[in-house]
Amino acid sequence: MSSAALPMQQRVSREQLSATAGCLLLALLPHLPGLRWWIIATIGVVGGLRVLLALRGRDAPPRAVSALLALLAISMLAVKFRGFSGLAAGTALLTLTAGLKLLETRTRRDLCVIVLIIYFLALTALLANTSFLLLGYSLLIAWVTTASLLCTTTTAQDLSPRAGLTDGARLLLQALPIALVLWLFFPRFAEPLWHAPNPDNAATTGLSDTLSPGDITDLALSDDVAFRVHFRGAPPPAAERYWRGPVLYDFDGRTWRRRDAELIASPALEPQGPAYVYTITLEPHGHNWIYTLDWPSSWDLPRAFLTPDYMLIQSSPVAQPLSVTATSHTHTAASDDLGAALRERDTRLPPGSNPRTRAFAVQLRAQHPEPLDYMAAVLEMFQTEQYFYTLVPPPLGADPVDEFLFDTKQGFCGHYASAFAVLMRAAGIPARVVTGYYGGTYNRYADYWLVRQSDAHAWVEVWIEGRGWTHVDPTSAIAPGRIDHSVRDAESASAALGMPLPGRLPWLRELRLRADALRELWRSRILGYNQDSQQRLLAHVRVPDPDVGKLVVVLAGALCLALAWLTWQVRREMRTPPTDAAARAFERLCAKLAGCGLGRGASEPAESYAARVAAARPDLAREVVALCRRYNELRYGRAARPADLERFAAAVRAFRPRGSRASS
Amino acid sequence: MKSLRQVATRTLRAWAARKFGADALPHRIARRRIYILPTGFGLVIAALDVAMLIAALNYNNNLGLAFAFLMSSLALVAMHHCHRNLLDLCVDVAPEADGFAGGPLEFRFVLGNESSLERRDIEVRCGERGAALTQVAARTSAPLAVPLDAAPRGVIRLPAFELRTRYPFGWFRAWTYVQVPLTVYVAPQPAGLARPPAPAGARGGVNAESAGDEEFAGLRAYAPGTPLKHMAWKVLARGGEAAVRNYTGFAADPEWLDWSAVQGQDTEGRLAQLCRWVLDAAEARKSYGLRLPGLELAPTAGFGHRLACLRALAAFSSGSRP
Repeated sequence: MSSAALPMQQRVSREQLSATAGCLLLALLPHLPGLRWWIIATIGVVGGLRVLLALRGRDAPPRAVSALLALLAISMLAVKFRGFSGLAAGTALLTLTAGLKLLETRTRRDLCVIVLIIYFLALTALLANTSFLLLGYSLLIAWVTTASLLCTTTTAQDLSPRAGLTDGARLLLQALPIALVLWLFFPRFAEPLWHAPNPDNAATTGLSDTLSPGDITDLALSDDVAFRVHFRGAPPPAAERYWRGPVLYDFDGRTWRRRDAELIASPALEPQGPAYVYTITLEPHGHNWIYTLDWPSSWDLPRAFLTPDYMLIQSSPVAQPLSVTATSHTHTAASDDLGAALRERDTRLPPGSNPRTRAFAVQLRAQHPEPLDYMAAVLEMFQTEQYFYTLVPPPLGADPVDEFLFDTKQGFCGHYASAFAVLMRAAGIPARVVTGYYGGTYNRYADYWLVRQSDAHAWVEVWIEGRGWTHVDPTSAIAPGRIDHSVRDAESASAALGMPLPGRLPWLRELRLRADALRELWRSRILGYNQDSQQRLLAHVRVPDPDVGKLVVVLAGALCLALAWLTWQVRREMRTPPTDAAARAFERLCAKLAGCGLGRGASEPAESYAARVAAARPDLAREVVALCRRYNELRYGRAARPADLERFAAAVRAFRPRGSRASS
Repeated sequence: MKSLRQVATRTLRAWAARKFGADALPHRIARRRIYILPTGFGLVIAALDVAMLIAALNYNNNLGLAFAFLMSSLALVAMHHCHRNLLDLCVDVAPEADGFAGGPLEFRFVLGNESSLERRDIEVRCGERGAALTQVAARTSAPLAVPLDAAPRGVIRLPAFELRTRYPFGWFRAWTYVQVPLTVYVAPQPAGLARPPAPAGARGGVNAESAGDEEFAGLRAYAPGTPLKHMAWKVLARGGEAAVRNYTGFAADPEWLDWSAVQGQDTEGRLAQLCRWVLDAAEARKSYGLRLPGLELAPTAGFGHRLACLRALAAFSSGSRP
């Protein structure tokens, strides 16, 4: 009875199907690297097949075929992923469903289902990758998909793809301010709703909580950003910019580790010297520690705590960019004594390992009974003897410290820190290895220090009675001014490893700093927008004591404003003056006549309007009838010349109906 | 579920009828009379949006959140556009329509759009009996014929009609009721035999076929369907109303199409026979009268008379038999 009224059940046209298939392809592109080859192949084959069929004017294959394919694909998915949870499996399921749905598409309703999947695919792409470019690309997908949905769901025959794109863009642009309001004021949670499955690409990067010989080499060649730091006030001098990461104390002869079960209360350190306040923004690294400037004393992350060995730890891994504002002092002092348990732990060496080193340490300690003298002697040995700093040291065998100290004499920070700590422990001086980062590059475009993975470093802390834990960087004994030298070393290393190093030219470096400044802005302002940012925003607009309740009130108010704007905008669109010059002039004419109480009726044709005016005002009859006839000719006749239009507009301007007879 | 929806619709329609009373034609659709609800597709979109929101919140992902909010805002914008698609639309219709049982029936609507936006996918529904869709370009009006389902003889009265739209995207359905009663007169499907020629004496010796058109009997108002040669062109040329010269056969010679003359059939059969005679007589441009139990239409000719007779046949109910 009313089949004409149900466009959703109409068959799809060739154009509609191709447009939606194109949108699906666009939405799939960002997912391609993460998809298994057979999923891509399946979607490509079934989607291509359906588009080919449509182009030849044929219908979808029988339902049994697509049902069988769906069964096959879903069971394959279930076997390969062992379930459907997680982003990768979910995305695979979504893309497969979209491809198979495309194959069996018959009506417009089927296309609508695919459009839903496209929207969701655009979202999951953003969940996996948060780059600025991808957001733009997702908006592009949203635009073309919305346009294709608009063309699919209307029965307007003349809705060309171009009109669909224009109207789709208009609708999305009107949605943007409302979306912005929602985004700004929708309450963020400090904690996720439930434990977020780690995005599959957020594997652990950067330093780990172990240190073996050769561990830091790959990091030294990586240009990836570890974190960025903004100092409030002056930064500490270059020699004091040590960024503290995992503290390692358990040594098995080869590898340094930490065991959380073995944390022993340590004497409190008294901060000395100037306090440095800074905000550090970590790239996700998948571990639960937070890098801080040596030595942290306070921080603004309530769920984080400081271990006795001064590591800042939070309960969950850093899977999202994380900003912390902390205070540190580069100098400390301790008046208390190191406890016996801690002294035992930090002088422990596995029996029988690295015998040459231990013998050497005992001998050297006998010559230098003062711990500070002994340390100086070891450092002098590194400086004067033929120890080389290289990122491609020869491989080490069963007693790596022995071999490094007495045979190969080539290594980098990890080797030197490890050897130094072993020498200290063998001489009965408590020592531990600290890994982290050293230095950083100042970005003057956005006033922050950029610390890359290539700044990864390892150093040693030694307990000196009366001074507390003392910072020793044995690597600096060999290669003073390590930052400058590391470039040369890294280049030789890259030549040795056959890997090119990006961006060592000065102008390229500047360009990269600028790009990183932009990235940092994007990261801190957009990606890092959180509960604190919201409260700062509220404080900025003079909301006293901002909290979540007030945020909701502000959200409601802003949303009302945005909706009022939308209503106004839509009304304005409905009343846009005509772009056609003839229609504009005619509206002016009608307005003039309306001034005499002779307004044009709702969609009254010009001719009958003229007749009505002529009847009511015989004195205007000739002029009005002539103008209306002229209007009809210009509007609906053959193409009007600009001169004719101009003359018509001039005639309308000259037309002055004198007073209203009805009122006089 | 379906019945619940029907009950809700009926309640709303009754409430709207009570609150807003009868409407005049042409009717302009006012803001307060447009109702809007999400469609099934709209609810699915809402569910998708909630899923997007939860996913983005769970991953603490501001970009995903922005995308989810963009989609929900798009739904809000779509709701506004769905509403404005009906707003200020002007509807006109000839509220009476005629047809034959089992034959095509339709209402002719005119939708006027004074705004600068095209109105897309405007659906006019005449109750459950028929619906049609059209587009109305900016600053124009568009005709829309709404075909109704074929019906048996009788008079169909619709208390109101409805305008609907699902544009854009089909996420929302906006609708309004126009409280203008519509009537369809469904005349019987003509059947039976042609009328046997009357005895010569009864016709006064005048040849009806030559005389019927010849006697000028004054002017009457123009009605659609009048033969062009009957138009009073001179009157029109003087600037008067369109008029028709009325011709009749001899007044003394009316042809009575009489209920009682049709024998031996049931009510519908008799009405079908009478309908055939009316059409035959009108075709032959005779003057004729119609006698039904309890109703008599005086003999005359012309389109208006034909319409009156057919409507009388459509409206005849056996209960009115004396």
